[in-house]
Amino acid sequence: MKMGVSLLMAAAAMLGLSGAASAQQTLEQVRSRGNLNCQVGLPTPGFYALAANGTWSGMDVDMCRAVAAAIFNDPSKVQYQSVTSAVRFTSLANGESDMLSRTTTWTAVRDGQLGLEFAGVNFYDGQGFVVPRSSGITSARQLDGATVCVLTGTTTELNLADYFRANNMRFTAVTNENVNVLVETYLGGGCDAYTNDKSGLAARRSAFPTPNDHVILPETISKEPLGPVVRHGDNNWGDIVRWVLFGMIEAEEMGVSSANVTQMLQSPNPGIKRLLGTEGNVGQGMGLPADFMVRVLRHVGNYGEVYERNVGANTPIGIPRERSLNALWTNGGILYPMPFR
Amino acid sequence: MSQSSAPPTAAIRRPATTPMRLGAFVNDATVRAIFYQAVTFAAVVGLIWYLVSNTIANMATRGMSAGFDFLDVSAGFNIAFTLIPYREGDSYLRVFQVGIANTLLVAVIGIVFASALGLVVGLARLSTNWLIRTLARWYVEVLRNTPLLLQIIAWYFGVFNLLPRPRESIALGGFMWLNNRGAYFPAPVPQDGFETVLGALALAVGAAIAVSVWARRRLRETGRAFPAGLVGFALVAGVPLLVYLALGAPLGWNWPALRGFNFVGGFSVPPAFCALVVALSIYTSCFIAEIVRAGIQSVGHGQTEAARALGVKPSRTMRFIILPQAMRVIIPPLISQYLNLTKNSSLAIAIGFPDLVSVWMNTSLNQSGRAIPIVAMTMGFYCVVSLIVSFALNAYNRRILLRER
Amino acid sequence: MSDATRPEPLVFAPKPADPPPPSSIGAVGWMRANLFSSVPNALLTFLGAWILYVTVAAVLDWALVKAVWEAENRRQCLDMVGRAGACWPGVAAWIPNLIYGLYPKDQAWRIDLGAVLLVAWALPLWLPRVRSKVAIGLCLVLLFPLLASYLFMGGAKGVVWTAAIALGLAAFLWCWLTALAEMRRGISFGALMARLLGARDDARAARIGQASLLALYLVALALVLPLELVEVPTRLWGGLFLTLVISGIGITFSLPAGVLLALGRRSEMPLIRVFCVTFIELFRSVPLITILFMFNTMLPLFLPAGVEVNRLLRAIVAVCLFASAYMAEIVRGGLQAIPKGQYEAAAAMGLGFWQSTGFIILPQALRIMIPSIVGNFIGLFKDTTLVSIIGLFDLLSMSRAVGEDTRWLGLFIEPFFFITMIYFVFCFLMSQYSINLERRLGAGQRR
Repeated sequence: MKMGVSLLMAAAAMLGLSGAASAQQTLEQVRSRGNLNCQVGLPTPGFYALAANGTWSGMDVDMCRAVAAAIFNDPSKVQYQSVTSAVRFTSLANGESDMLSRTTTWTAVRDGQLGLEFAGVNFYDGQGFVVPRSSGITSARQLDGATVCVLTGTTTELNLADYFRANNMRFTAVTNENVNVLVETYLGGGCDAYTNDKSGLAARRSAFPTPNDHVILPETISKEPLGPVVRHGDNNWGDIVRWVLFGMIEAEEMGVSSANVTQMLQSPNPGIKRLLGTEGNVGQGMGLPADFMVRVLRHVGNYGEVYERNVGANTPIGIPRERSLNALWTNGGILYPMPFR
Repeated sequence: MSQSSAPPTAAIRRPATTPMRLGAFVNDATVRAIFYQAVTFAAVVGLIWYLVSNTIANMATRGMSAGFDFLDVSAGFNIAFTLIPYREGDSYLRVFQVGIANTLLVAVIGIVFASALGLVVGLARLSTNWLIRTLARWYVEVLRNTPLLLQIIAWYFGVFNLLPRPRESIALGGFMWLNNRGAYFPAPVPQDGFETVLGALALAVGAAIAVSVWARRRLRETGRAFPAGLVGFALVAGVPLLVYLALGAPLGWNWPALRGFNFVGGFSVPPAFCALVVALSIYTSCFIAEIVRAGIQSVGHGQTEAARALGVKPSRTMRFIILPQAMRVIIPPLISQYLNLTKNSSLAIAIGFPDLVSVWMNTSLNQSGRAIPIVAMTMGFYCVVSLIVSFALNAYNRRILLRER
Repeated sequence: MSDATRPEPLVFAPKPADPPPPSSIGAVGWMRANLFSSVPNALLTFLGAWILYVTVAAVLDWALVKAVWEAENRRQCLDMVGRAGACWPGVAAWIPNLIYGLYPKDQAWRIDLGAVLLVAWALPLWLPRVRSKVAIGLCLVLLFPLLASYLFMGGAKGVVWTAAIALGLAAFLWCWLTALAEMRRGISFGALMARLLGARDDARAARIGQASLLALYLVALALVLPLELVEVPTRLWGGLFLTLVISGIGITFSLPAGVLLALGRRSEMPLIRVFCVTFIELFRSVPLITILFMFNTMLPLFLPAGVEVNRLLRAIVAVCLFASAYMAEIVRGGLQAIPKGQYEAAAAMGLGFWQSTGFIILPQALRIMIPSIVGNFIGLFKDTTLVSIIGLFDLLSMSRAVGEDTRWLGLFIEPFFFITMIYFVFCFLMSQYSINLERRLGAGQRR
C-alpha cells in the first residue's frame, strides 16, 4: 500500500498532474489552462464526428469551438474529451470538463437534481422510428408487441417506454450503448424497429445496404431539446456559453456571417453594432471582450452556417432546415434568441 | 515468513534485568513488528481519512448527492429480460434486484455449461484421436487468446443475430423455438396440488441421499456394493412422477404462440442472453479444460496401472481412482474460474443484456446520475458473492487437506 | 554385427525384426492409428472435420472471397456485395489510427522508436554468453519507462526530467556495451574499460569502471540536452499503442506490488496481514469494469479540489491496483511451492527476513512463477479492452470510431474482426512463449 501510494504520486507527477485554482471560477481556470475542456460523446456523425486524421467536427463541436473562440480568439484551443454517455454528467460534475456539448436533452431532473445547468438549445430533435418497408407498418401505433432497438442511457430509452405505456401497447427492448450494434441487430432482423432521435435516423438509414427498403415513421414521440450543459454554481460561466449560442442565432437573424463580419463592423444597424461590440459592451459583465461575437463569427460562423456545414441538406446527414423546428422564428421555426442588449 | 523471521532474534533478546540498549531494542522482532504495524496502520487510516474528507468536501462544493433516497424513485425504463417481475413504473431498488437476479441466472447457467464443456474438451485434449486432440488444442488456444468482450459480440452477431426471423423460427422437438428474437419455451403454470408433487420430490431426494449414505457404509463394512445411484435415480424420478399422475397432472403449460410480430406467452430468453451464456461458457470452458487436463495428468500413471493390475474396470478406475485424486487438484482453480465467470458476466453491457452492471451501473446511473451509491452497491454485490464462495472454498480446502497424511 | 566374425564367445544376436506391416506406417498407418482407430473415433474424426470445414469456410468466404478491397466509401462496398462480404478499405484507411490512436501522424515515429528501443533493450536477455542479464533486465524495467515517457509525451523538460531521461539513455547504452563486452571478451563493460586503460590493481579498476559509467552518463546527457520533442497530450494516445502502454505499466507495477502484498499476506503481523488480505480480496472479488468505473468517476472526487488527474492515469491506477491483487496471489502460490527446508536452511544460516526472502526464496519462487506471470500479462492485455467503456481510445474504441466516420458509417464488423486478429496474434505468441518457457524451466527439475 505504502509503495502503491508513493508510486502513484510519482506516476502522477510524471503524467502531468496539475493544480488549478478554486472550482468556482471556470473562466479563470480555462484562461490559465490555456484551453477549454469540452466534453463530447463517442464519435457520432453530424454532431461530434471524428475523422481518420483525428480532427473533430460537428454541430456540438462547433459549439465548443465557438466558446473557445470567444475566450481565446482561437477556436482550436479546445481539448475534446470523448466520454461514454454513462459517465457524462459525473465527468462534468467532478470538474473534469468545463462544458458538455453532446446532444444532451434538457430535462427537469437533469437540470434540477444532477448539479447541472443547461445553457440553451442548439438543436431541437425528436424521437422517431425506422422500420423495414416490407413490414407494411405505416404508423408507430402499429408497433404493439414489437421488438425495438434503442440506445441505452439516454432519454430515448425513457421516451420509448413512456410512449408504449401511454398507448397501452407492449414492446420488448433491445438495448445497447453502441449505435452500430443496434443498427447491425436491426438489419439482421433482431428487432422490428429501430428508434433514435430523428436527426440520426436519416443518416443511419442512408448507410443501410438498401436505404429504400426502410421507412422512417411519421410520428415524433418526444421532445428532445439538445443543448450545451455547464456545472451548477458558476453562473458567469453559464452566461458565457448561453450568450455565445444566442449570439450565433442572433447573427443569423441579422444576416451577419463569417463571410461578411468584417464589413458588418461598419454597419449602422444598432442591433448589429451591439452584437459585434462596436456599440455598448455586452461581453463586459461576463468577463469577455466587447468583440467576442466578432471572434466567434469570424472563426466559427453563425448558427445557419454551422447547421448547413454539419447536418444541412447538402451533408451526408441531410436534415432539411426549412420549416423544421430548427429554422429561425422568423422562418417558421422556434429558434428565438433572447435580445442582445 | 513464519519460518524465517523468528530465529535470529531469540539469541539477541536479553534477560529483563539488564538495561536494554538501543540496538537490541531496534533489533527486537516484537518491537519492530509493532512499529511496522503502527506505521502501516497510520498510513492506511491517514490515506482513507484523506480520501474520504476530500470526497465529502468535493461533493459538497459540486452539489453531488451520495444519498440512497433515489432508490424509491420510479425508474421508468423498460428492461428487456427480467427473471423477477418488473414494470416500467417500479423503483430503482427493484432494478437493482432485477440486475442481481439476471446476473446470478447467467452465472449459474454459464457455470453448468462451462463445466460440462470444459470436462469434454479437457478429455478431448487427452484423446487418442489426433484430429480431436488437435481440434481441442486449437479450440483452447484460439478462444483463450481473444478478449472475451470481442467473443461475446462475435457470438451475438455471428450466430444469434443470424437466426431466422420469427415467422421462420426453428422448432426444436416441438417444444422450443429459436429465432433472432430469442429462444422460446413453454412456461410451467403450477395448479392446485402441485405443492404436493414438490413435497414428494423433496422427500425422494432425501431418501436417495439416505440410501447412498447407507450404501457407502455397507460397502465400507461388508465390501458388498449396492446400486445406490440407480435406486436413487429411480426414487427421485419415480416418486414425484407417481404423485403427479395420482393427483391428475396438476401442472399446466403456457405455450408460446406466434402472434403479431413474434411469439407471445411461454418463457423466453433474448438472443443477448444466449450469446452471453454461450460466450461465457465457451471461454471459461477453455480454462476449465486445461484445469481438468492438468488434474488428470497430475495423478501418477502408476495409479492407472496399479488399478488395471488389480483388475479394476477402466470405467471404475476413472471414477474411483483417478477422479477423486484429480479433484483435489482441480477444485480450487475450478472455483476461481466460476468466480471469474460471474465477474465476466458484467461484459453483458457490450450486447445489452440487462445484467447488474448493464442495468444498474450503466442505465440506472445514467438516468439517475447517482454515481457513488450505485457504484458502491454494484461492487458490494460482487464482493459478497465472492466472499461467500471464498469461504466455502477455504472450508473445502481445509477438509481435503486434513485427509492428507 | 562385428562380433559375429569372432567365434568366441558366443553372443546372442537377435534376428532382425520384420518390417512393420504397410498398413501401420506412412500416411495410411498414421491415419489408422490417430484418426480411425475405432468406429467412434472415426465418427469423431468426421464430426471434427465437418465442424472445421463449416466454420472456416464461412469465415473465409466473408473475409476473403466475397470481400471488397478497393472502395471510396462504404456505400460503394454495399453496392458491390451488400453485407455478404467484408469491406476492408475502411479498415485500411483507419489502420494508422488503430495502431497509434489520435497521436499526430508526423510524430508517430516516436512510438516506433520507443518500440524499437524496447526490443533492442530486451534483446541482450536472449543473447548467449551475456552474464549481466539480471542487471540488464532491471535496467529495462526501471529505466526504460523514463526514456519512453519522454519520448511519448514530449514537451518541456526541466532539470530533473533531463537528468532522468539521460539516465535512461545511459542505461540503454550501458546495457548494450556490457552485452557486447561480455559476448566478445566475457567481462563487463566497466572491467573492459579498466583492462583497456591498463589498470594495475582492483581498486583502480573499480575506479575506472565508475569513471567510465560517469562518462557514459555525460555522453547521454549531451545527447539528450539538444533533444526537443513536441508535447503530445495523453488524450491523443490510443489504439494498440495505448493498449500496450496500459498493460505494460500494469504488469511492471504489479510485480513489485504483488510481491509486497503476498509477503504481507503471509506476515505474522496481524494488522499488516489484515490490510493485505482485505486489499487482495477486495480487488479480486469485483470485476475490473467496476474498478475502472469507480476510479474514473471517483478519483477526481478523492483528490483535493482543483487537482486534475488525466483520464489515462486514472485507468492506469485502476489497472495497476487490479493487477497487483492478482499478482499477489500468483506470488503467494510461488512462495508456497518453495519447500520448507529452504526457509529453515536460510534461517539456520542466520539470514534475516529480507535477506532470506531476497536471496533464497524469491529467486526460486520467481522462476516457478514466470509462466503464471506471462498468463497474467495475457489476461491483463485482453482486459484492457474494458478501458473503452470509460472512454479511452484503446484498440476497441478506435475500431468503434471507424463505423462512426461519415465515409464508413456503419462499418462495424470488419474493424472488429481486424482487432480480434491483432489481439489473438499478440496473446497467442505470448502464450506459446510461456509454454516454451515452462518446458525449459521444467527441464531442470524433471528427472
